[in-house]
Amino acid sequence: MDYFLQALGAASTLIFSFDRDIYIIVWTSLYISLVAVILASLAGIPLGLLVHFRSFPGKGMVLQLLNTLMALPTVVVGLFLYGMLTRQGPLGDLDILYTPLAIVIGECILILPIIWNLSISAAASADPRILATCKALGASPLQQSLLFVNEIRYALVAAVVAGFGRAVGEVGVAMMLGGNINGFTRTMTTAIALETSKGEFEFALALGLLLLATAFVVNLLLQRFQRLNR
Amino acid sequence: MSIDQATEQGVPVPLSFAYELNDVVQAYSGTPVLQIAECHIEADRITALVGPNGSGKSTLLNLLSFIDSPDEGHLHFFGDTVPTTGTEAFRHHIGYVQQKPYLLNTTVFRNVELGLKLRKVEKSQRRKQVLQFLDEFGITHLAERRAHELSGGEVQKVAIARALVLTPRVLILDEPFSHLDTRFHLEFESLLRGMRERSQTVIFSTHDRFQALALADSVCTLLDGHLMPISEVNLFTGRLDRARNMFVTRQLEVNVPKLASEGTRLSIDSRQLVINGTAAEPGMRNNFPGTVQAIRHEAGEIHIDVMARELFHAVITRQVLNELRVQVGDPVWVSFKASAVSIF
Repeated sequence: MDYFLQALGAASTLIFSFDRDIYIIVWTSLYISLVAVILASLAGIPLGLLVHFRSFPGKGMVLQLLNTLMALPTVVVGLFLYGMLTRQGPLGDLDILYTPLAIVIGECILILPIIWNLSISAAASADPRILATCKALGASPLQQSLLFVNEIRYALVAAVVAGFGRAVGEVGVAMMLGGNINGFTRTMTTAIALETSKGEFEFALALGLLLLATAFVVNLLLQRFQRLNR
Repeated sequence: MSIDQATEQGVPVPLSFAYELNDVVQAYSGTPVLQIAECHIEADRITALVGPNGSGKSTLLNLLSFIDSPDEGHLHFFGDTVPTTGTEAFRHHIGYVQQKPYLLNTTVFRNVELGLKLRKVEKSQRRKQVLQFLDEFGITHLAERRAHELSGGEVQKVAIARALVLTPRVLILDEPFSHLDTRFHLEFESLLRGMRERSQTVIFSTHDRFQALALADSVCTLLDGHLMPISEVNLFTGRLDRARNMFVTRQLEVNVPKLASEGTRLSIDSRQLVINGTAAEPGMRNNFPGTVQAIRHEAGEIHIDVMARELFHAVITRQVLNELRVQVGDPVWVSFKASAVSIF
C-alpha cells in the first residue's frame, strides 16, 4: 500500500508541477480524440437521422449491425487499418501509418457506430409531434431537420460525449496506428501502457489521473449544458 | 369574378372556396382512413368538422394544413392545385393548432416567434407582433418562461398565439376547446368570429356537434373516414337498442340498419325523406304521421317542415309538392328507409 501511496504522491507532484512531457501527451490525446469525435459526429448524426426517418429494405439488419459495431474491439480496428496503411497495404502509398491522422481515422471508425447508433436512439425517443409542428409553422425540409436536431440536442450531445469517452480512453488503435512516438503520436493511454512496462509507475499514474480528470470534466460540462437549458 | 367586385355591383356574392377536395384517399399501412369523393370548404367562413374519435378528423386536418399529402386524389387551395411535395409556399398561408400542441423546448416568446422567423420577417417587426399577440392572449408574463413550465391551458394559448401571429389565410384548429378554460372559451369564440370578419377562413374539429352548430357557418360530419351528407336538420339524440335494431329518442322509435354503428345521435338526410299525403310509403321501414309546419321555396327546391312528434325537414321537388297539394297544417306521412339514417 505504501508503494501505491508514494506513487500517488509523486504523480500529484508531476501533475501540479506542470511537467512538460506529461502535458504534451495530454494535449496530443485531446486533440486527436477531439478531431476524431468531430468528424465522426459530422457523419454519425446525419446518418442517424437518415436511418431513423427513412424506411428501406435491410433497415433491421443495419440496426443490428450498428449494435454489434458499438462493441467493436479497438485492436481489431487497429489491426485492420494497419493492414491497409502499412507500406505493402493497399493504402500504403498514403504514408500515414504512425501519424496522428492514422489514429484519427482509426478512432473515427471506432466511434462512428456509437454516435450513429445513439443518434438513432435520440431521434427515436424524440416527441413525434416535433416534425409536424415545424412543418405546420412553415419550415422547409432543411429547416425541419435543423429544428429537429435542435430539439434533441441534449441526447445528441450525450451521444457525442460517449464517442469522445471511447476515443480518448482506447489504447489499441492509438498503439497500433500511432506507434507511440514521443511528442508526436504518444497519447495518454499508450504512454500509460509504455511507462508501466518500463517501471515508471508514477509517470503512468499521473497520466491515469489526468485521463480520469478529462472524463470527469467532459461529463461535468455535459451536465452543465443539460441543466443550463432546462 | 372576385368577391369584392360582386359585392360592389350588388349581385349575389358567389361563394369562393378555400379548399376543394376530389377523390381524396388517405391510407395508413394499406387501410384507408379517409375517403372523400368531393368536398368544398368555403373561404372566409367558419367550418366545423364533426365526428367521433377515430373518424379521420385529424387526418383530414393534416391534409388541409399540407402536413401530409393525400395518397390519392387532388387538393385545391384557393383554386391552386396543391403539389405532393414542396408545399412550403402553401403552408405559409396556414396557421395550425394541433389537438395536443407541441411547444419547442425554448421560451414562449421564441415559440411564438418561430413561424415569423421561418417567413423571414424582420427582427424588430417580429418582436412587435409577438408581443402584441402575447398581450392579446393575456400571456405576456409567460414570455420568458420555458415551454415545459407551462400548464395545459397555457400551452394551448401559446399554440393558438403562435398560429395567429402569422395572420394566416386559413386557421385550422384540431379540437381547440378540449383544454381551454371556460373563461377563455368565450373570448376564443369571439376571436374566431373576428377572424371571419377579417376575411380569414377558420376550420376547426370537434366531437361536440352542438358547439359546432353554435359557432360554425357550416358543418361537415366525418364518420369512419367518410363525409356524411348530414346537416343540423333531422338530427335526433337518443340511444341505440341493438336487440331490436331501433334507435330510441324521447318521442320516436326509428328502425336502423342491422350493422348501424354505435352512437347517441341519429341523422337523416333531408333528401331521403318521402312525404305522402294520405298513407305511409309502402316498402319503407319508418313511417310517422304528422302535420306540415312550413313550406319554403329555396333555389328551385321545396323545403318542407313536418312535425311528426319530432320536427322533420324534407327537401322535395316542385313537382312532388304539386302532386301532394298540401298546405301548412295538413296531415302528412313522413317515411324513410332504415338505410337512410346514420348514427354517430
